[in-house]
Amino acid sequence: MVSETNAPLLQIEGLKTYFHTQDGTVKAVDGVSYEIGDGKTVGVVGESGCGKSITALSVMRLIDTPGEIAAGTIKLHDRDLLKVDAAEMRDIRGNSISMIFQEPMTSLNPVFTCGDQISEVVSRHMSVSRREAWARAVEMLGLVGIPDPARRAKQYPHELSGGMRQRVMIAMALSTNPELLIADEPTTALDVTIQAQILELMKSLRERNRMAIMLITHDLGVVAEMADDVVVMYAGKVVEKSDALTVYEQPHHPYTKGLLASIPRLGEKRERLAVIQGVVPNPLNLPQGCLFKRRCPYAMPICDTPPPLQEVHPGQLSRCWLTPGGEAPAVGPDASGDVAAEAAAALTVSA
Amino acid sequence: MAAYIFRRLLQSIPILIGIAIISFMIVHIAPGSPIDRFRSGRVSPETINNLIRLYGLDQPLLPIWVENGMSLLVSLFLMGLAGVLAWFALRGMRRGRTGLSVYATGLIALLLMGGSLYLIITGFREWQLLVTWPGQLINWMLAFLQVWRPDAWGYSFTDGQPVITKIAERVPYTLELMGTSLVLTVIIAIPVGILGAVRQYSLSDKIIMVLATIGYAMPTFWLGLVLKYIFAFQLDVFPLFGRHEFGDDSIVDLVWHMVLPVMTLTIVSVAGWSRYMRSSMLEVMRQDYVRTAKAKGLQTSRVLYKHALRNALIPIVTLLGLTIPSLLVGAAVTEAVFSWPGLGGLGVTSVIERDYPLVLAFVMVGGTMVILGNLLADVLYAFVDPRIKY
Amino acid sequence: MESTQLAPIPAAAGQTQSMVDEVDLTPVRTYWQLVRQRFMQHRLAVVGLILMTTLTTMAIVIPTVTGDAYQKTSLTLANHPASFINPFAPFGFDTIGQNIFIRLMKALQTSLFVAFSAVTIIVVIGVTVGAVAGYLGGRVDNALMRLVDIVLSLPSFFLIVMLVALWGSGNPAVVIFAIGLVGWTTAARLVRGEFLSLRETDYVQAARALGADDRRIVLRHMLPAAMAPVIVAATLGIADSVVVEATLSYLSFGISPPEASLGNMLTNALEFFFRSPALIFIPGITLILVVLAASFLGDGLRDALDPRQRVKG
Repeated sequence: MVSETNAPLLQIEGLKTYFHTQDGTVKAVDGVSYEIGDGKTVGVVGESGCGKSITALSVMRLIDTPGEIAAGTIKLHDRDLLKVDAAEMRDIRGNSISMIFQEPMTSLNPVFTCGDQISEVVSRHMSVSRREAWARAVEMLGLVGIPDPARRAKQYPHELSGGMRQRVMIAMALSTNPELLIADEPTTALDVTIQAQILELMKSLRERNRMAIMLITHDLGVVAEMADDVVVMYAGKVVEKSDALTVYEQPHHPYTKGLLASIPRLGEKRERLAVIQGVVPNPLNLPQGCLFKRRCPYAMPICDTPPPLQEVHPGQLSRCWLTPGGEAPAVGPDASGDVAAEAAAALTVSA
Repeated sequence: MAAYIFRRLLQSIPILIGIAIISFMIVHIAPGSPIDRFRSGRVSPETINNLIRLYGLDQPLLPIWVENGMSLLVSLFLMGLAGVLAWFALRGMRRGRTGLSVYATGLIALLLMGGSLYLIITGFREWQLLVTWPGQLINWMLAFLQVWRPDAWGYSFTDGQPVITKIAERVPYTLELMGTSLVLTVIIAIPVGILGAVRQYSLSDKIIMVLATIGYAMPTFWLGLVLKYIFAFQLDVFPLFGRHEFGDDSIVDLVWHMVLPVMTLTIVSVAGWSRYMRSSMLEVMRQDYVRTAKAKGLQTSRVLYKHALRNALIPIVTLLGLTIPSLLVGAAVTEAVFSWPGLGGLGVTSVIERDYPLVLAFVMVGGTMVILGNLLADVLYAFVDPRIKY
Repeated sequence: MESTQLAPIPAAAGQTQSMVDEVDLTPVRTYWQLVRQRFMQHRLAVVGLILMTTLTTMAIVIPTVTGDAYQKTSLTLANHPASFINPFAPFGFDTIGQNIFIRLMKALQTSLFVAFSAVTIIVVIGVTVGAVAGYLGGRVDNALMRLVDIVLSLPSFFLIVMLVALWGSGNPAVVIFAIGLVGWTTAARLVRGEFLSLRETDYVQAARALGADDRRIVLRHMLPAAMAPVIVAATLGIADSVVVEATLSYLSFGISPPEASLGNMLTNALEFFFRSPALIFIPGITLILVVLAASFLGDGLRDALDPRQRVKG
């Protein structure tokens, strides 16, 4: 990312998370790097299976066998989270970094009351009495816009609607004033109207607490609402990184372009919806070279060589051989590896 | 909740009736009359005849039914038919149809109703319900419920003692075994199951699974035999059978005699329960809310014991309720192997000796226990899982 | 395990690598191939299968070959110890001079026969009742499930003892029917559950819309899908039935001498503890092997047929 005035809160560098299955090793996250600045919101976008959730779980170190974090560093204020011991990580989870998940239905424990589950995280990380913890829980429930919070706190998750459950999750995550909130598809399982409310809520809380957010979603509309910067992921790699405005007005990577083009617009007259042809590659049978080439309308012979993440404009990085202007690079028709390296060297390389 | 329990109890009544009918039928259709044992030559023919009349065995099943009960049956059938037709007719009328068919149906229904009423009124005096076996059955069932009367369940054919007494005096002995075994099973199996789940695929887990599978595969009586062989015979540590040494009434002696049978029962139970606990725990650990708990930074032990276990125990609690019925009837084989004077042995003996009052009582008691056990399991489940509302 | 990580196919002249890579070469497998593959991955299940086949083969072949030999008693050979030199009597002789090994094989045959037959009855009754209840639903379902409740409420072992004792102990047919008549309820419940959910599936609705009559729908479309839990229940039912039959025979209710059963070989074993402990262990261990084999097989089938691993009690 472009240099910020404040040091990045979270810095992911070269993260590789692999899953060892009986059919082979799935490289769910294969060399991903991005940063989240203090108080900034980064939207991580991509199709299902592109590795965005796994990246988040890796940050929280919640990856279980058969998965493992194979390489990389994740720095929280200069502390490498992958190197701290388990106890310290537990202190960070729910405290400095909180995470909310996609399915509010199943993410809350059905046998404990909502208030119980919130005050639990408060008691864990802050030395307060049980009464104070409960009071804070009720306070948080009120903060997230749940009417009659004192009564709701005594209710069980199944007595609440989906939208309210997600609010409870948010309340739970925010109760310890974390520096970073990781929101993994927080609105995907909710109706559109509830979705809007939750997003509004997150925006207001972000203002209030000066909290950074890693917003993971496949919905570009949500990203447009909330994000300062956008990271686009595909098949385990970052394919485009920039600030939100640039991504929407000047997308470089064909995948990003395809995503944006496929959103139908009000008032637009079309015969057919634009789609990105093809399917996400089978993680056990990834193509050689650029992972997007089988679906890319611009595919060229040079795409058989995997493109590096290059800065195509100031502050915008893209993993594609196309020139900053969006044309085929000036190399011969039978590109060999050397020529590709040459073309790559001609552009500023990063990551 | 109270309403639910009441409703369930009401629903159990037809089941109990069904059980009584089935057992009654089995007993009466089976070859070999209960009186046969008395035909030893030393019993006078008059006594035998009296016995036959007393137990209603001279009434052939079907002919009586046809003679006296046929009209009852017919009238009931007619009433039912009338009811169905009346329902159709009423439905048609409510929907505003005023065609001929609706009225005709109603008329026929009325006629049928009248006919069955006529049959009932005229035939009433002829129906000697007390003599036909459905009457016997109803009588018997009513008597069965009056547990405070010592003769409620009849008298045993073998020694003439009231059935209730015979059963009641053996109940504590069986409970000694089964109760102890149940407590031990719960204490051992739950931690073992948790251990296996938490350390899935590790060496301890594999050992636990193998032992559990073998223990589960062993027939109870064989395990009892083997234990007897090893401990009572070769090592001479525990007694071979029985509940007391002659004349020794102490607790110590009782415990000493209890060790082997309880061990037999417990080993097999623990094998089953720990597998169940382990799979329940594994299932729970996979759930999203466990991931949330970890994401909150809670201590691993807290995640485990508070969040996971609480949910994993729910099916175990149900299992507990369902095990209640076997408290009385389940130890039959073990009791046989160790000559423990419990209910199981009594039950088996009663069948061999065609002691029908006792047999019937057993089946009814067993059935009642199952129904109560199921009810208990459901109630416990509702208690433990806040999602369930009745 | 065969890996689907394939080596890249080099491009021929005039083709770009992209054109060749176009084809997604992940192998396609049919449902049954997948089932077989998953099954083979469970070492225990394969062990169970092998064990079961071996035992069944031995149980069929050896008694057929030896004929009446299992009944032959001989006082001179009584208690003759096991000698592995003699291929015909690897386990020695029992107290009345019967060849333990031959008798064991005959016992195995009887026990397996009873178990398989009883399970057949269970499956036939259970599947019929369950299918009818599940497919027709409504009042028929209620009535049938009431019946299931009643049968389930009866203390099962006691009921089996009762049936056998009243109708003829020592008669294998009675034992088979008794076990079958008491044990069909689980299978019925399973099938009913499957049918109730299958009834609402789209492909059943489609079949109905195409005009298929009930019988065809049930037999062709729903039964195969509902069979998976029944297969598992049947396999585990074999394990159960063997134990029940053995217990019955042990108590002298089931098969009685001179016929052989794994249970009645143990009946008098206690009295002869001091002379030949082998009499306790040999039939018992054989019994355990059968139960283990059937259990492993059942578990493996359950995992293979339904990888979602529903943990239902």
